[in-house]
Amino acid sequence: MNMAKNIAFKQETFRDDYTYSNSAEAIRRFPFPFAEDEYMYSVNIEQHDGGAPGSVFEHAIDIDEHYVAECEDRRITLEKDPGRYIALPHMKDAQWDMVELIMDSLSTDYPDLFQLSKDGDNWHWINKPLNIDQKFVFGDESTLPMEPFEYVGRQVQGDWVVMDQRDDDLFADMGIITSQADWSLAFDAGMSFKEWHGPVPQANELGIFDRALKYLLHLQYGSPVRRLNWTMTVNPRLDTSPEEYPLWGPDNVSVTADNVGQKVHLRVELQALFRLPRSNAMAFSIRGYLASIDDLKTYPRWAKRLRRVLTNLHPDLSEYKGLDNYRQLVIDYLAPMDDGADLGLGTHPE
Amino acid sequence: MERGYWIRSKPLYDSLVWKQQATGHVVVAQGEGGIAVLKLFQQMCPREPIKLLFADEDSAARKYADIIQTLVPEGLQICESEQAVLAALREQLPDCLMGTQFYVAGSEAFIWAVMDELKVYGVQDINVEKELSGTLARSVYCVHCKTTDKNVHHSIHQCSGCGRHLFVRDHFSRRLGAYMGVMVDAEEPGNIPAAEEIYP
Repeated sequence: MNMAKNIAFKQETFRDDYTYSNSAEAIRRFPFPFAEDEYMYSVNIEQHDGGAPGSVFEHAIDIDEHYVAECEDRRITLEKDPGRYIALPHMKDAQWDMVELIMDSLSTDYPDLFQLSKDGDNWHWINKPLNIDQKFVFGDESTLPMEPFEYVGRQVQGDWVVMDQRDDDLFADMGIITSQADWSLAFDAGMSFKEWHGPVPQANELGIFDRALKYLLHLQYGSPVRRLNWTMTVNPRLDTSPEEYPLWGPDNVSVTADNVGQKVHLRVELQALFRLPRSNAMAFSIRGYLASIDDLKTYPRWAKRLRRVLTNLHPDLSEYKGLDNYRQLVIDYLAPMDDGADLGLGTHPE
Repeated sequence: MERGYWIRSKPLYDSLVWKQQATGHVVVAQGEGGIAVLKLFQQMCPREPIKLLFADEDSAARKYADIIQTLVPEGLQICESEQAVLAALREQLPDCLMGTQFYVAGSEAFIWAVMDELKVYGVQDINVEKELSGTLARSVYCVHCKTTDKNVHHSIHQCSGCGRHLFVRDHFSRRLGAYMGVMVDAEEPGNIPAAEEIYP
């Protein structure tokens, strides 16, 4: 049974005046990633087959209060730089796989918001939050206003990379990427799994990518998996792309002891992987959640944990994630809250 | 320098060695790649047909076409320029059989220009032997304005498209045949480190 969802969508911005904010409920369900006081890369993959009601893991694709504003931010970014969407020509089947995955998931999990009816290949899609009502023929690109993957990609939160599988490797041959943590789709398109992850320090040395790739190549249709990743961002900016680095780069040196609580955000990526049925490609969703240090501080357990993780962080990771300019400021800001108590294992807030 | 670790997208270039079990061999080289060709032909040549496309570089002190001509009896085509080599390759590719092995030697920009031609026929990167010869000059893709500049020799490069000073990262895109250039003074405008010639 699906519960009726009552989500109050926020009007807010992720650029310029940055009016983005989290409700108390959004903070409570924030996917805090640190189960221990120290962090190092691991494959940390688990089944993505549902989670606790209300949690971000409950559904295959999570919709929250930021949905409408995030879709609008994506529209703005794509208008400025259409190269944030790329689909290499051999990805046509995968495009339709994505239409099916996203429309099926949303209409099943959020029937009050999204509706899909199918009469053979004649589909009727209704997206209430974005006021979209579209009839189209599944498999016939001419019946949609743009390429199918771009069409559906504009109606979902988070970035998506769709990887083609061949020669025992995965190639980033399609994507819609407007909220990335400093990597470029235009540059990385077509890369193999290891080339694409080339710049990540430490993980190669740990054999992370060899093991992750081996695992992913065997991913089955109907058995998606997920993991969490994280970084930090100054200001609640979704588009921290290398393309726009001249715009947000100065923010990295704007953090002070006075503004650190509001300016610095923990950015958690819920990464999920889905095998696609027609193309045998793999969809990789990178769904970002942003919470300011002050948001997180409402739960002392999280404040203590975050302070310890940042204190113990490997210098290579700190540099790669771009934290060097303000990491110590966050540590100092949270220090008065940390009584040194043993927090035990787990990511829970209280 | 920013990196204490190895970036895996940076291609590794090896010495050319004949591959066994091919239906034919196509060698494509330019400029200093001539020496790689000469080394290759000092190895026992395979029995299958060999084609060799070569062009000297006008500006180079050392020329190889004459020596190559005395050593390579058949299948040799000396071209006037790098562009002519690419055009000749384009012309010959439709006649190549499945299982043809490719060998490329020259500057990095030349190697990836050849790969661009081969890609059209579905030749995989991994099936092409590549030897980097003569220069470490890089092609640099400006991630901000999408301009690619060739023959970059310095650690910091001023983009010809947008004028920004770019740090040249080791992150390499085979599709673009270029390294990523990222604005070096985005965080502190005007704070531009001295450019050093590290890709001679």
